[in-house]
Amino acid sequence: MWLTSKIKQVLLVLKPGKVTLNYPAESRPVPEGFRGQPAWDHTKCIGCGGCANHCPARTILTRDLCPEIRILFYDGARCMYCGRCADVCPEKAIVMSPEFELATGDRDDITQSLELFMLTCQRCGRCYDLEIKNAIDKLDLRGYRYDSLEARTVIRRSTERFAPDVLGETEAYRRPERIGG
Amino acid sequence: MTKDSLIRTLRDGFGPALTVSEGATPKRLVLDIDRTAFRAAALKLRAAGGRYMVGVGSDERDRRGAFGMIHLFAFDKDGFTVALRTSAPAETPEFDSIAPEIPAAGWTEREYMDLLGFTFKGNPKPKKLILADDWPAGIHPLRKEVPYNLVPPSAEDVAYELDEAPEGTTTVPIGPFHPSLHEPAHFAVYVDGETIKGCDYRGFMTHRGIEKLCQTQVSYNEVPFVAERICGICGSVHAAAYSQSVEEAAGIKIARRAEFIRTIMLEIERLHSHLLWLGVAGHLIGYDTIFMQSWRVREPIMWLSERLTGNRKTYGMIVIGGVRRDITPALREDILGVLKKVETEVGGLKDAVLKDTSIHRRTKGVGFIPREEAEAWSLLGPVARGRGVDIDVRRDHPYAAYDELSFDVPVMDSGDVWGTLVVRLLEIFESIKIVRQALDKMPSDGPLLTEVADVLPAYRHGLSMVEAPRGESVHYLITGPENRPERWRVRAPTYTNLQGVPRMLLDNQLADFPIIVGSIDPCFSCTDRVLVVDGRARSRRVFARSEIEALGRGRRKP
Repeated sequence: MWLTSKIKQVLLVLKPGKVTLNYPAESRPVPEGFRGQPAWDHTKCIGCGGCANHCPARTILTRDLCPEIRILFYDGARCMYCGRCADVCPEKAIVMSPEFELATGDRDDITQSLELFMLTCQRCGRCYDLEIKNAIDKLDLRGYRYDSLEARTVIRRSTERFAPDVLGETEAYRRPERIGG
Repeated sequence: MTKDSLIRTLRDGFGPALTVSEGATPKRLVLDIDRTAFRAAALKLRAAGGRYMVGVGSDERDRRGAFGMIHLFAFDKDGFTVALRTSAPAETPEFDSIAPEIPAAGWTEREYMDLLGFTFKGNPKPKKLILADDWPAGIHPLRKEVPYNLVPPSAEDVAYELDEAPEGTTTVPIGPFHPSLHEPAHFAVYVDGETIKGCDYRGFMTHRGIEKLCQTQVSYNEVPFVAERICGICGSVHAAAYSQSVEEAAGIKIARRAEFIRTIMLEIERLHSHLLWLGVAGHLIGYDTIFMQSWRVREPIMWLSERLTGNRKTYGMIVIGGVRRDITPALREDILGVLKKVETEVGGLKDAVLKDTSIHRRTKGVGFIPREEAEAWSLLGPVARGRGVDIDVRRDHPYAAYDELSFDVPVMDSGDVWGTLVVRLLEIFESIKIVRQALDKMPSDGPLLTEVADVLPAYRHGLSMVEAPRGESVHYLITGPENRPERWRVRAPTYTNLQGVPRMLLDNQLADFPIIVGSIDPCFSCTDRVLVVDGRARSRRVFARSEIEALGRGRRKP
């Protein structure tokens, strides 16, 4: 019984032979419609911020430096390559490129930044009224929540309501005790 | 028990304390009951043959000044589910525990003690389950006033207090990191010689707070992509389950072709998951030939997924209202070609594996649980079917396009790891059968995505179950007013199956621990130091690696 089983196993192993690809010397081409790193075409982008608004990973940031210049910033370190941005882009300015070899020691390699010159109103010289929040300006609330464009790191902090001293005042607050005395 | 007779029995028993209403579909029964009769009603549902699925606790203080608690039961033979709902005032969120009678409810209750600050009177093990050991008492993260990004200060000197070891046993800690676990989890195994006499589990070390995140930060349409990342294998399962729960809550009917494509994706996922498990199982019993070969057979399926979805896994395909990509005639031929190859190869693998006596010796009689106990622990999926429990969501509560497809549900009576292995192997062939049928019966055209133009109504409830490769995944959703779920409860199958692991381990050999835990398809690591707890003397001592090596070489007793 076990012998026939073993013979079958030997055949199972011998038949396919070597299947390991000689990567990275020879790489397999990616199929059509592959979801690699998203790429922005700055000539098509109108700066609507739809991608930032719909990014599940919140890795696309829009920020207005001044009324004429909008920064659109993509940080690949958080991207999960779902392709949602490419789906929602009304101008088809985003394509999912076949690029997947994205391991890097420098995260600037996988970030993209667009400085978009926004067309201003001929009468008042501004794009949007930044004081009265219109729908696009509300995008400031979305996007990933880093403190600054430069820091680009998740700064973990206790929120205002739960600052450590406030925490200490709550009635049930108690530091866990060490076990075993 | 049919729905009508169940309602009659409950009405007789509880009278005015109980309100019966219809759920979103005729397959959902909703019972609202007074808090005092909550436990009695739950026990009655269990006695009537209901399978405990999971509990859902929610913070509804801002809209009705109360906490909500729901126990979900499934009546698999009659194809309906029961949501037993109650609420507790904001000041005293106390309920009676059902865990002594329904052990599968133990984790649910402990979860809400941690996350919502509920009290369950009579819970046999009211210890922390989810929150970190140094999480300050009195802060319950799922309560709405707690911000999603709260990071309380950490403490160094705290640890989980293990259960008391049975008399005369030694504790062997396995985890949090162990070569056979893919994720951190800690099992304290109490052994007498080589025989396991008990086990305490401390997990949730990588709890990511996905439910809180999706209830406060993202909107309906983005949640599927977050849901996919709950699991590294069952991406489509969670996206489909979430999407179905939204669709049920909001009454969205999706296109039939989209349902078929969902079915195909779910089955392709099962194919690759079972082959992955077979490899891991082989590896865990030290049989790396199986590991290598089944992963080799699996690889074409991964490449197929790449062509179908755009990337290696079955992610990014399913969204609310349908699917994102079509299966074109060319892809259809592609799928059929890959299936044909995989079927032949898995056939060879099956012949080689099922008659191998060394596999019989490592799996037969290992991790045995009788059928009654498997039902009491609400075991799911292949773990249950290997123990004679004939349940399968695809057949009992059909979703997507499964109502049109015919397939067998393999069930084994051996009650051990061997049973789960055979069930999984046979299910591979069933999955291939299902994909072929689905490709044949699929409507040739039709929309892929049903646009949802209206704002989704708030405070509707939706429940969906999907048969993941590991068992049934349950998603319960309460829609919210801000274009995002107010409450989204996910119960993956391992949540339930893992609760039954201490029972599976009982009276087995310590050497069988990896394959027993591996048989439910989760994962562990023990590296350079070991903590020895002497159960009788109650003393603790940490050994350094050099000490252990010296002890091991000298073969002396510590």
